[in-house]
Amino acid sequence: MSLNLLYSLREGIIGLRRARVATFVTVSTIAVTLALFGIFLVLTVNVQRIVGLFRERMALEVFIDNSLNSEQIKKLGERLSSLSSVRKVTFVSKDEALRRFKKEFGEDPLTFLGENPLPSSFEIKVQQVAQTPQGVERLAKRIENIKGVEEVVYHGKLFRVVDRYSRIIIFADIFLSIVVLLAAILLVANTLRLTILSQRNTIQIMQLVGATKSFIKRPYIIQGVLQGGIGGVVGSIIVWVLIRVVALRFPHLLEASFLLVSSPFLLGTVLGFLGSGIGVKRFLQT
Amino acid sequence: MIQLSDVWYRAGRDQILSGVNLHVDPGEFVCIVGPSGAGKSTLLRLIHMEIFPTRGKILVADYDAEEIKAKEIPYFRRKVGIVFQDFKLLEDRDVFENVAFALWATGIRRRQIKKRVFQVLAETGLSHKRYSMINELSGGEQQRVAIARALVNEPFVLLADEPTGNLDSEATYEILDLLRKINRKGTAILMATHKEELVNTLPVKVVKINKGKIIE
Repeated sequence: MSLNLLYSLREGIIGLRRARVATFVTVSTIAVTLALFGIFLVLTVNVQRIVGLFRERMALEVFIDNSLNSEQIKKLGERLSSLSSVRKVTFVSKDEALRRFKKEFGEDPLTFLGENPLPSSFEIKVQQVAQTPQGVERLAKRIENIKGVEEVVYHGKLFRVVDRYSRIIIFADIFLSIVVLLAAILLVANTLRLTILSQRNTIQIMQLVGATKSFIKRPYIIQGVLQGGIGGVVGSIIVWVLIRVVALRFPHLLEASFLLVSSPFLLGTVLGFLGSGIGVKRFLQT
Repeated sequence: MIQLSDVWYRAGRDQILSGVNLHVDPGEFVCIVGPSGAGKSTLLRLIHMEIFPTRGKILVADYDAEEIKAKEIPYFRRKVGIVFQDFKLLEDRDVFENVAFALWATGIRRRQIKKRVFQVLAETGLSHKRYSMINELSGGEQQRVAIARALVNEPFVLLADEPTGNLDSEATYEILDLLRKINRKGTAILMATHKEELVNTLPVKVVKINKGKIIE
């Protein structure tokens, strides 16, 4: 068995060397294709991450009617906490609001108004399931109707825009990824089919002398896996280099785990296996 | 050992073989003689189980053409050597590798492969050419390589389809001598040829075939 495998490996490598130009073309095309895939994947993951962060910070400000006493405010807070899509309710007192205002604008309204005009409010973080434009809007409407609520403020429009664009980017990524993957499979299958066709003679002779089907197939499968794997490694390197280059300008924009960067390699190996399997199967049946 | 009973073979609209009966005993040397298109090659391909009869029974050793499974065929082929008019050698490999090729597929140990290949190259008179490339050899030598490859798995029968068809008369007689030598060591031989005068000089059983029928 091990001898057979060794033989197949040797034959596979010899086959690649024999068709040096074709191999080079295939491997480099696969490298570029998988690098594209890797880039899409990195982009998708990061868009998801950034949108997630944005949603996480998405908050509703619920301004409280100035006439409410502290007992009523406490009750209102409890009422808000009990709403189903609310994750966290933080009370912002008039003093806290003033402090924030001063920090943000560098001016003290007390100096020109003589009193604190800012209402107290509740800051509401939304549960993950409701972190959609519609979900937030619905929640805002519900809260507005609660007695003691003066006004609900949130960045609904911005949220909608971000949501729409992130969705477009992700759909485009998925679509392009699928195209790229199919292209890679077809590429390997086709190159292998050409290799196999050029070695029709050899295969016929192998069948004549009593080589088993799997023995005949194995060198070609190995060739496919090698082509896909080598192309994938190059693709991974391209992705890694690009991430480093982007990081020079925008240090925290992209995050990519080792698994993410090595995905072109892993995928290339799998695609090489699938592609050669298809190529070999098609030929050996005819 | 080889037994064909009432074998019919049709390819598309052409009736290639009609009711062929043939019997080859172990160690026998049988020549199938007939003009081109008589069905000789078809007969050999049927016995080699590349194709299967439309009707009739073919038995080769323990293998029945009706019952053999696709995955058994490689193992069957290892026991039935075959050579062709056009040699069917791998041009990009040397003599040794061409012969060893048939053993690699069976998964024998490397050292045994070497030993066995050298042995069969000696038997076929090719020891001195073992590292020559195929295109450096004469036609007669190439056919010897093909025969060596067919013998390396120690088959019980060697099928030869016009083995001298591409050779000059000197090489033809050398190949026939080699086949007889192999036969004397116990391997049955079934050879197809259209040159009747060739087999008349040999002490072998002759089967004449024409238009898909055995006539003698």
